[in-house]
Amino acid sequence: MDLNFSKEDLEFRDEVREFLDNEYPKHIKEKMNNGDDLTREEIVEWHKAVAKKGWMGHSWPVEHGGTGWDATKVYIYLRELALAGCPTFVPFGLQMVAPVIWTFGSEEQKKKFLPRILNFDDWWCQGYSEPGSGSDLASLKCKAVREGDEYVLNGQKTWTTLGQHADWIFVLVRTDDSGKKQEGITFILVDMKTPGIEVKPIITLDGDHEVNEVWFDNVRVPAENVVGEEGQGWTYAKFLLFHERSSIAGAPNMRRVLNSIKARAKNIFHTDKPLSEDKSFQSKVAEFELDLDALEMTELRGLAAMREGKSPGAESSLLKIKGTELQQRLSTLAVEMAGHDAMPYGGPYGFSDVEVAATKVDQLSAPKYLNFRKVTIYGGTNEIQKNIIAKAVLGI
Amino acid sequence: MNLSFTDEQNLLRDSVSKFCGSDYDFETRMKSVNSDAGHNPDHWKLFAELGWLAIPFSEEMGGLDGGDVDLSLMFEEFGKSIVVEPYLANVVLSGGVLKRCDLENKASLVESLIAGEAQFSLANYEPKKGFNLDAVDSEISSDGIVNGHKTTVLNAPNADHFLVFGKHGSGFAFALVSKDAEGLSLTSYKTYDGFVSGDLKLENVKADAVFSKNDALEILNEAVLEGIISVSSEAIGAMEKCYKLTIEYTQQREQFGQSLSKFQALQHRMVDMFMETEFSKSFLLKVLATDDADERSKLVYGLKHQIAKAGKYVGEEAVQLHGGMGVTEEMSVGHYLKRLLVITNLFGSSDYFLSKYIDS
Repeated sequence: MDLNFSKEDLEFRDEVREFLDNEYPKHIKEKMNNGDDLTREEIVEWHKAVAKKGWMGHSWPVEHGGTGWDATKVYIYLRELALAGCPTFVPFGLQMVAPVIWTFGSEEQKKKFLPRILNFDDWWCQGYSEPGSGSDLASLKCKAVREGDEYVLNGQKTWTTLGQHADWIFVLVRTDDSGKKQEGITFILVDMKTPGIEVKPIITLDGDHEVNEVWFDNVRVPAENVVGEEGQGWTYAKFLLFHERSSIAGAPNMRRVLNSIKARAKNIFHTDKPLSEDKSFQSKVAEFELDLDALEMTELRGLAAMREGKSPGAESSLLKIKGTELQQRLSTLAVEMAGHDAMPYGGPYGFSDVEVAATKVDQLSAPKYLNFRKVTIYGGTNEIQKNIIAKAVLGI
Repeated sequence: MNLSFTDEQNLLRDSVSKFCGSDYDFETRMKSVNSDAGHNPDHWKLFAELGWLAIPFSEEMGGLDGGDVDLSLMFEEFGKSIVVEPYLANVVLSGGVLKRCDLENKASLVESLIAGEAQFSLANYEPKKGFNLDAVDSEISSDGIVNGHKTTVLNAPNADHFLVFGKHGSGFAFALVSKDAEGLSLTSYKTYDGFVSGDLKLENVKADAVFSKNDALEILNEAVLEGIISVSSEAIGAMEKCYKLTIEYTQQREQFGQSLSKFQALQHRMVDMFMETEFSKSFLLKVLATDDADERSKLVYGLKHQIAKAGKYVGEEAVQLHGGMGVTEEMSVGHYLKRLLVITNLFGSSDYFLSKYIDS
């Protein structure tokens, strides 16, 4: 066991860097560095650049177009992308619905959807939560009734991230309410252009429009879009959640943000000496680094297990809890560091639209902090994750 | 030892509480927040009529001779409704300077403030200079010319007069600057808690007056200490509202066939929120009941540290226990968190005030 990269690993790292130097679109890089929001087109452009290189399937099996990298390479790849400040991949297709399709889907579904996901031809979103079904997801009510070769959907989903951009949505629907609530749930794929779908924005505390309500009013969906068996959706839903949870820890990205905080602290003064020389600040940064190291190694252990063919299980809840707690701690540190400069706000989502003394990055720290309140809630609240660990890992 | 409030103080609390309860629901607040002034001018007029703007001024200045306790009681009530009317900037901070200063016409200025006819902003913090009150580069010359750059000037867009703190000779002074003064440029913005603020650039601005040349720093310090007591009290009111909103929400929200409030793990979280609020109240009382000036200012630093930690904790927990709804703009709970986060870092961070406490 050692932590050193092999010669081959180092060559691979250089290959990733070279790709980023040449193929990471400059105008996107500039916006990311400034903290500006990307348009839908720019997000697609970034994914397409990665797809062209053949690197979208870093977590996929080779038979479906995966890269076949070992855990070290995946780690190096994601770390280099994060350190370069690249946009994170939109996970709903790539990391969430794709594993469900290749594990439980029909051959037709695999052929139809997987290549388009890998090429980012389709933007996917998630239809899981409902207003009355959050932590208790299995109590969902959105209804699908079979009529001939079609299902007719009626009901409402909520917290649909970036649903306003999506081409497809995977939806958990109730096809039977006679038995236990976990039974009678069906996993179905729906084209967002189908008549009867309405997407309504939800504005969050940071003033941003990122999440949505999605309403279904007699939406007719071909029966062939059901994944696996009717009524077995809860099994697929949980399988997907494990994948979702293991992809939201975000250690490499935190590494980049921490580096930026450390660099900026040299020029930030709360007293007559720079913040970087302040003992309390140093302690906070050091403690954060230690926790981040531990999180990163836990992620690596998970990646290694995945490469050996194990599906991420309840252990992904550990990553979800710790990763999101650290994300919030980091966003708090940034606001604290910015001091009064975090206050000017022009909204929606971003810095003051007038020229002020505070830098953009300092102004952005507050909306970031507010936006990051969601991370301990989405993907199953951290409280629910603890229930899962207690039950499935500790056996209590 | 006596930890009870006077009858007058209880009456004041009741009247503020009544106003907030009847005229200040969340929708009304958001309407004020989204207006140009960032507050409701009719409310401001009402504050003047009720005598609230006169509270901390002496009787000879037309005031009601109130003190920190009165301010604290009011702000605790304000905090429960996150009132956005610019009381802090006008009455506490600018008023705190005006009532202590040696400005010749201060009586007429205070009169206009108390009547709600003129608004004021204290301009002391500067870009990249941090929280130390003496860390300023702005200069006020002996012939009353002001040059400098001020930031986070609370209530700046509404101010008729600015009280600008700057260097003067080998010491410090205040300059009274009219909003229409030549060479003064104001950049207005909203802050993320819904209040209004601004940056000021002063280029060879002729001040209407230069005052308190001998003790400007001490006066500024006193005004800021009162400011800290006020926002700490406000935070306590907001914290109380946060745990109450959370109890209410978890009682009516059902998951897994029962209300969330039935889950023991969540009950303990709400108990912790309640306890943080109560211990913050206790610490505030200790500050208010301490007479010795040095001891008191040390305790005010301690209070700000305590409030920064507890306020942020309670606000964050409230949002977390509201789940997804907590992070939406339409629910009030997140707006309490925003204000609590601003208060956490206003005048200085929790670390900053802990070191001030240790050093004093």
